[in-house]
Amino acid sequence: MSDDAMKILQVYRSEPTDDIKKLVEILNRDRVADEFKLYDGEPNYDTLVQKIFANDKTVCWW
Amino acid sequence: MESLKVYILIANRVYNDGIRSGLGLAVENHYAYPVIMNGEFPRFSDYMSENIAWIMDMEGQVYSCGAEAPTELPADAEIANISLEELGEAMRDADVIIPYGLPKQSHEPPAACSE
Amino acid sequence: MAADPNKLGIFVTSPQHMRHILGITKAAVRAGKEVMVFFTYKSIHLTKNPLFRELTELCPVENIAICADSYICEGYDNVNDVPPGLIDKQMRTQAFHGAILDECAKYIVM
Repeated sequence: MSDDAMKILQVYRSEPTDDIKKLVEILNRDRVADEFKLYDGEPNYDTLVQKIFANDKTVCWW
Repeated sequence: MESLKVYILIANRVYNDGIRSGLGLAVENHYAYPVIMNGEFPRFSDYMSENIAWIMDMEGQVYSCGAEAPTELPADAEIANISLEELGEAMRDADVIIPYGLPKQSHEPPAACSE
Repeated sequence: MAADPNKLGIFVTSPQHMRHILGITKAAVRAGKEVMVFFTYKSIHLTKNPLFRELTELCPVENIAICADSYICEGYDNVNDVPPGLIDKQMRTQAFHGAILDECAKYIVM
């Protein structure tokens, strides 16, 4: 798979810090990026699992 | 079995066990890159320093991001400096990124944590 | 062996997120996926959470393991105090994390 086509999912367990935002910006560059906030209300885990399996890679931040 | 590039990000002083976890993957033929963020260094016991040196022997590397890496560690261990931007670029090639343990604490540890 | 596209690995390093681990596992099983979970370092305290037992009932017994060294380092007895739902041979080493990376095409850290 070419790098350009990579689909990446960013999951956040808490509000991302500036360092995390910077890293995510670099990781997402030229990629198809999605995100999921676990800290934002009651998470829909079915949606999260669907996203994990739809993306090539998942990063789950603190 | 494919050898994977694994970055283990350590943002909290209590979770430098991520280095041991990285070594565990290195002995499984993966490339381990533990990254100590913002100066949250462990106490450099002989055990910890040997683990850092062993990761280097297994073609991995322990990094410091956001604070100058200490020098003259025991057991010929070395920690390399990496900037946040360099880390982001390096992790674009990662197979696995592991934000390890807990995030950084708001306060410095009290004296009760010193032992 | 290529990683199984229907297998999700969960690497647990934080002692805080049992609700998420259980929620994700339940959702994955509902979606027909298999889940492997490894608890390491201070996350092994989650084995004392009543939800841990529920988690073990969702997965084949060989798919859930904890780091034995971590369990002992945190003061627990790995012989006389095996967490309910776990069997003693699932007190494993970091090699189980390696097995998750080998076997699971999808992976999340908690």
